[in-house]
Amino acid sequence: MKHLSFVICSLIFTASFAQKSEDLIPRDAVTVFSINNFTLLQKISLDDLVKYEFMAEVQSELFDGSTSGKTLKDAGIDFDQKMNIFYGRGKEYEISGFTFGIKNKTDLFQVFDDFQLADSKIPGTETYTSFFNSLIIKGNSALLIRVEPLQDRVNELTDSIWYANGNESPWVDTYEEMEEDLKEESEKEVLQEEIYEEMPEATQPKTEDEFPVAEENPLQKNYYEMRDSVEMVLQVGFLDAICKDLFVSNLNLKAVDSRFAEQLTHPSEGIFFLDNSRNLQQSKRIWYLETMFPTLYTDLKELYTGNVLLGDLLLNNNSVQFKMESRYGEKLGSIYEKLNHSKFDKKVLNYIHKDNTAYFTYNVNLREAYEQAFKVIMPILTNEKNTQMSTSVLALDLLNEFINKDALFGTYKGSMFGTFNGIKKVKTTKIEFTYDEETFEYQEKEVKAEEDMPIFTLGFSTERNDIPLKVLQHLSRLTSRFQNKGTYWVFENAILNAAPLYMIANEGLFIFTNDQDLAENHVKGYGKEALAKKDAAKAAKSGSMYANINLAQAIDRFPRDFFSSKQNEILDAMRGKTGSMELTSSKTTKEKTSFDLLYTYGGTYDNAGKYLLDLMNSLYIISK
Amino acid sequence: MNKLLIIFGLLISLSSCIEITDDITINADGSGLFKYAINLSESKVKVNSLLALDSIEGKKVPTLAEIESKIVEFKKIFASKPGISNVKIESDFTNFIFKLTCNFSSVNTLQTAVKEVIKEISNEKNSAELEAVWLKWDGQKLERSIPDITIKKSKEFKTEDIEQLKKGKYTSISRFAKPIEKCSNPSGIISKNKLAAMVQTNIYSLTKNPKLLENTIYLFPNKN
Repeated sequence: MKHLSFVICSLIFTASFAQKSEDLIPRDAVTVFSINNFTLLQKISLDDLVKYEFMAEVQSELFDGSTSGKTLKDAGIDFDQKMNIFYGRGKEYEISGFTFGIKNKTDLFQVFDDFQLADSKIPGTETYTSFFNSLIIKGNSALLIRVEPLQDRVNELTDSIWYANGNESPWVDTYEEMEEDLKEESEKEVLQEEIYEEMPEATQPKTEDEFPVAEENPLQKNYYEMRDSVEMVLQVGFLDAICKDLFVSNLNLKAVDSRFAEQLTHPSEGIFFLDNSRNLQQSKRIWYLETMFPTLYTDLKELYTGNVLLGDLLLNNNSVQFKMESRYGEKLGSIYEKLNHSKFDKKVLNYIHKDNTAYFTYNVNLREAYEQAFKVIMPILTNEKNTQMSTSVLALDLLNEFINKDALFGTYKGSMFGTFNGIKKVKTTKIEFTYDEETFEYQEKEVKAEEDMPIFTLGFSTERNDIPLKVLQHLSRLTSRFQNKGTYWVFENAILNAAPLYMIANEGLFIFTNDQDLAENHVKGYGKEALAKKDAAKAAKSGSMYANINLAQAIDRFPRDFFSSKQNEILDAMRGKTGSMELTSSKTTKEKTSFDLLYTYGGTYDNAGKYLLDLMNSLYIISK
Repeated sequence: MNKLLIIFGLLISLSSCIEITDDITINADGSGLFKYAINLSESKVKVNSLLALDSIEGKKVPTLAEIESKIVEFKKIFASKPGISNVKIESDFTNFIFKLTCNFSSVNTLQTAVKEVIKEISNEKNSAELEAVWLKWDGQKLERSIPDITIKKSKEFKTEDIEQLKKGKYTSISRFAKPIEKCSNPSGIISKNKLAAMVQTNIYSLTKNPKLLENTIYLFPNKN
């Protein structure tokens, strides 16, 4: 009986204290996506999964044929555990990877076939390594991780060792050598060919790269070899420290960050965590501040403390909801609170057409935010006892006294709106070659043409329409491309050197648009054709931000050529889907602002997991 | 110099609505004048939007200054070829029209110069297309085709651009000092003054059938 009690107690103890996948997330992780309802992904093929950008970073090696034709279900993964994808950048290294549960180790290694068993330094764990990654298994949970020392740190250490050994700068004569290399390049090619011709065919190298580089003393490392060694030693050291934290000291992100731990308890399909305060502290640009203005750095760090973005992904019958909460410390919160202390300008709604494809409103009070920021930030800057900083503080203080803030913030209050009205034909001109029938000699003739152009409108609230109009009047004296058309202004060929930009100043709004119809026929707004009351109310009720997109119309109509490849990646993840997307925000308090992104899709979809991954991928690309 | 081909390849393949004109005049002594024009004015909004980007599909988008400097370099190389003179390049960056004109001492020198320039500025060092003969002149008839290399580039257009390609136009004109008797291409037409022959096709059809522009132009025999 005693034995039975011991066995039962042991089982309960082990079950309670066994590390789950979420307990293996390193505390250095800054961004984490955690999928709770992992069963949704059972149908996703591994081939599709590894194509996502957020997976590709850590498991490029997996995409080598071993995943062919398999789903996650075949990969020995335990769907009762969460899958957590993480990324983090510290002062010395960068980590990325994911943690997950294991159901069948044999199946797992059919997929992770590049990993070789290695000596494990931590008792109770198994370590497998591949060229880039390490896979550490404890019980039924696994951590796949890549640790990369930051290049600046590697260079710093290598230089230190290199010079301490009495070596000269490895970069001496580099420029001269480069010049010589360039000169000799063509000669080398000829020489190489001659060498090949003289060599017996069997020993001829295929390429120039295959010639071995001989060192005078094989035990003496050159700079690059030393650098590789330093990098390797650092990598091993950092990984060991991370593993010790995780598996010996039980120090993981969940244990050290109560906000993340709390987020993990949410019954949503997935959660998102981004620690912005650490992003700031570890930003490359902050080192100057840290070195030159240590007091300021400490104060700014304090200002950013608690700045975190938490999110929940909820999968409903025909919608995906992404709830986000932006939390911040009290001081920063007081600025945000003032920034969002603004009355919604209902006039903007009159300029959003009821049939438009996508629109947003942004409602802030720059004046109050400025005053509050001045109150919060000036004491921090003044605190720094430094000549350079004191001069800057004096300049800021004087500027604050001399600037006409009524005119400045009266011209641009901070509230704005924007619409995307799809693609319209805009009038342009083209040159046609016309051929004379007699001789076939040709002439160039300018003829009217039409081209597709995305139609955008961007407007902002103003109390001082007279100021931008003053600027336009002066500009029109300089060039005839600015013309006053009475109720609006036009700037010829302003957009892409081909289409006009229209400017409307009316009733406390200043509007820029390339929509000729709006400028010529709706200068006072769309009236009855404006946004429906129900939709207008939603925008007015929202906090600082509101956005609405008709995905079916918008995504497919966004012209690829007008976006960068990164923006296109995000659009591609969303392309081909129908429905609408709505972003609302709460009133901002000193502690937080909540955002709610509701993506309602039309029709039925077999694979909700695919939607979840598409959305996560979009978020990953945005936050990268 | 390979960059110049990339630059134009990129602009042309992404703007797709393009008009190309090649115009060759052959004098009685076999020398002549060659004109080549690329007109992208119908796509100038698109071209401008492309030029505003940093990169497209992993390829860096050049600045106008880079394009200009490469054109100058191209002109220099082309002008250095034997038998080629008076090389002029007009670049209109408002309407995106680019025109090349040059004099040549014989059809063969023109052909050799074009082949050499292509070899110098591209990776097509030993391409079979470069060995082909696109122009043959015996004093009585001119045999014309367009290099397969042009067709190859045209095939890189995306399917979504096909409608635009159908609007694109390729015009090939041949002019002579003596009257034309006939031409072999059924779509070919002869000018009223009988001194020029022209074949026109849309770029899309050309990508499907490169022989559309093949034409042999026969002149009236000399009266002895």
